[in-house]
Amino acid sequence: MSPRRMAAIVRKEMLHIVRDPRNLFLVAFSPALLLFLLSYVFSFDVGQISMAALDLDHSALSRAYLANLTSDQDLQLVIRLREYTEAVPLLKGGDVDAVLIIPPDFSERIQSGKPARVQAVVDGADPFAGSQALMVLEARSKVFVARASMTARAQMVPWVEMRTVVWYNAGLESLLSMVPGLLAIVLIMPSMAMALALTREKETGTLEGLVATPVLGLEYLSGKLLAYIIAGLVSAVLALLVAVLWFRVPFRGSLLVYLLLTGVYLMACMGAAIVIANFVRSQQTAMFVVMLVFLVPSFFLAGLITPIGTESLGALLTSYTLPTTHFVEIGRGIFLKGLGVESLLRPTLILLGMGIGAMAIGLGLFQKKIG
Amino acid sequence: MIIRIGNLIIKELIQFRRDRMLSVFILLAPALQLILMAQNVERGITEQPVVILDQDHGRLSRQLVVNLDNTEELNIVHHVQSMEQVRNLMDQGDARLAVVIPAGFTQGLTGFHSPQQKVRSVAPIQVGIIADGTNTLAASTTLGAATGAVGRLIADLATSYGLVSAEFVDFRTDIRFNPTMDFRDFSVPAQLGFITYQVTLALASLGLARERELGTLEQLMVTPLRRLELALGKGIPALAIGSLNFAIMWAISLLVLQVPMNGSVFLLAALTLLFVATVVSWGMVISAISRTQQQAILFVFILAMMEIAFSGFMVPVKNMPSFLQLFSRFAPLQHYLVIIRGIMLKGAGLRELWPQAIALVALSIVMGVVSLHIVGQRRS
Repeated sequence: MSPRRMAAIVRKEMLHIVRDPRNLFLVAFSPALLLFLLSYVFSFDVGQISMAALDLDHSALSRAYLANLTSDQDLQLVIRLREYTEAVPLLKGGDVDAVLIIPPDFSERIQSGKPARVQAVVDGADPFAGSQALMVLEARSKVFVARASMTARAQMVPWVEMRTVVWYNAGLESLLSMVPGLLAIVLIMPSMAMALALTREKETGTLEGLVATPVLGLEYLSGKLLAYIIAGLVSAVLALLVAVLWFRVPFRGSLLVYLLLTGVYLMACMGAAIVIANFVRSQQTAMFVVMLVFLVPSFFLAGLITPIGTESLGALLTSYTLPTTHFVEIGRGIFLKGLGVESLLRPTLILLGMGIGAMAIGLGLFQKKIG
Repeated sequence: MIIRIGNLIIKELIQFRRDRMLSVFILLAPALQLILMAQNVERGITEQPVVILDQDHGRLSRQLVVNLDNTEELNIVHHVQSMEQVRNLMDQGDARLAVVIPAGFTQGLTGFHSPQQKVRSVAPIQVGIIADGTNTLAASTTLGAATGAVGRLIADLATSYGLVSAEFVDFRTDIRFNPTMDFRDFSVPAQLGFITYQVTLALASLGLARERELGTLEQLMVTPLRRLELALGKGIPALAIGSLNFAIMWAISLLVLQVPMNGSVFLLAALTLLFVATVVSWGMVISAISRTQQQAILFVFILAMMEIAFSGFMVPVKNMPSFLQLFSRFAPLQHYLVIIRGIMLKGAGLRELWPQAIALVALSIVMGVVSLHIVGQRRS
């Protein structure tokens, strides 16, 4: 392997990237742009449960109960109903997550020491909103009724008060949690550009020209990889600027560590891109494979929104084979937790292993031949 | 005219079949992906790791720990002695929630002697709960579960003093549309929509761009094909393959993944066809305005990511700021997800879904006309 020939390939690829404005945009600018667009969707807070209430009791106690339920931002009373028949269309149309029904004898039963009855109708079609609504309603109802019935009988037991603290993201702002995670998704773009560049050489026949040069397969691939990793790092810096300057996401770790691990992540993704490019002939297919193998699963399985599955070995394996999963963890660790590389050894080593493994497979498959 | 369109369609299908890798991928991969993703998307947020710092070691602190562990959402994996250890486990992501029970917890709660002794005001005893905010959904779920566990402890305590009857609140729940609140039933229809969207867009968006890049568009231009015929001949195969794909995946989600189908199959089929047609139109516009495949791919990626973001799957549309809600109205995927979930899970019909159906009709007409116009213009 000659460093001179490899450098020539790096130079050729760099020129390719810089001279073609579309390619330059795809490799260097699209991650920042996509991060900007995607993050806007998360720039406000999620998790609010909207509820309708049907208060048939109309007593001071039932009003206090409703006020207690909706005392903070978690639960929002969007509509008060007059009769039960209004409830189901509201749920079917997705206007509210839950309907709470307070029967006419609510306060009377509490005052006379009988169990109070309430009913919640929950939209289970969206299980997150649904179970959240159920959990919050049930817990708050229990506490409210327990206190109310004890007050009614002028007796008290010592109370347990929860002091809740949220670490790393004190306001539970979804933007702060999503931006470091979304960075992992938008940084798939440089790898995608590389898969396209590899297949384009096949499709347009320029690979033939290269076959006739003394460049070795190893030099060709590693030169290409190096060029795209450098370009990818530039794009990572731009996206980072968007995250820190525009969205004001705190960056608590070390920039150097972040860039280093971004390089490792890019290597793992690009290694996979090399393997994919080996099997496909057209750019269309390459795009299709990258979309199906990387993009969509990354939204679902990488721990971006729901934490990664621990229920079954299969779920764990699928999530772990996606490089995105590890970079979501790294991104959140460095941005929000301010971790150093020693606390991120597991994801780092996995990504490194993936990168080296994929490179070895890609190189083994790559043949500098035509046809 | 019919014959010319037919010929173009046949040409497209032959071309599709000859790109072996592409045809295999388009017909098999989406189905496989659906199965893989559905199998591995969790049924909910469960068994989140919890660390306990118990400084009390009393009867009630142990009771609280048991209550926490008994929730479906939480799983106690570590007991530690110091805050440093808590910090370490939380940093590493090995615990998502920490519960700190102070010394004197049991004493404070049971310190007064008989329940008959009237106690009017007592200082509350504090329990510290620390959540990992890096994943906000997991954080709010674990916090909610912990609140519930503490609430149960209080309730049990009050009951044991005879202050309230054992069943002091009769909380009845009625869960509609997805009674077990299975996350899979929620996400499979969304994944169906996503994958159909991608496959169709990827197919429709590169057709013309590819012919232009490889120079074969010129050959098509010297044939007697008119612009409408060119657009239809390119669009119909994409429509057919996209719909076929949907049908295969739909069958899999019913038979293999056991997702319920509560509504009308006919309505779903009709609205799916509209949705696929809208996506094909979007794809044709991209194809017509891109000079190279690479450019088209770039557009496809940006569009696909935006559609996923606006689809309402990750963030409910009603939680978005109003200008983004306005944007999301133009995303066919958003309307389609409401439709497919409504029909499959809630058994909704046109009576509930007419706004989405009208939106899809309008979008498909507008995009169809725009794409016919642009494809025609770009011929020369």
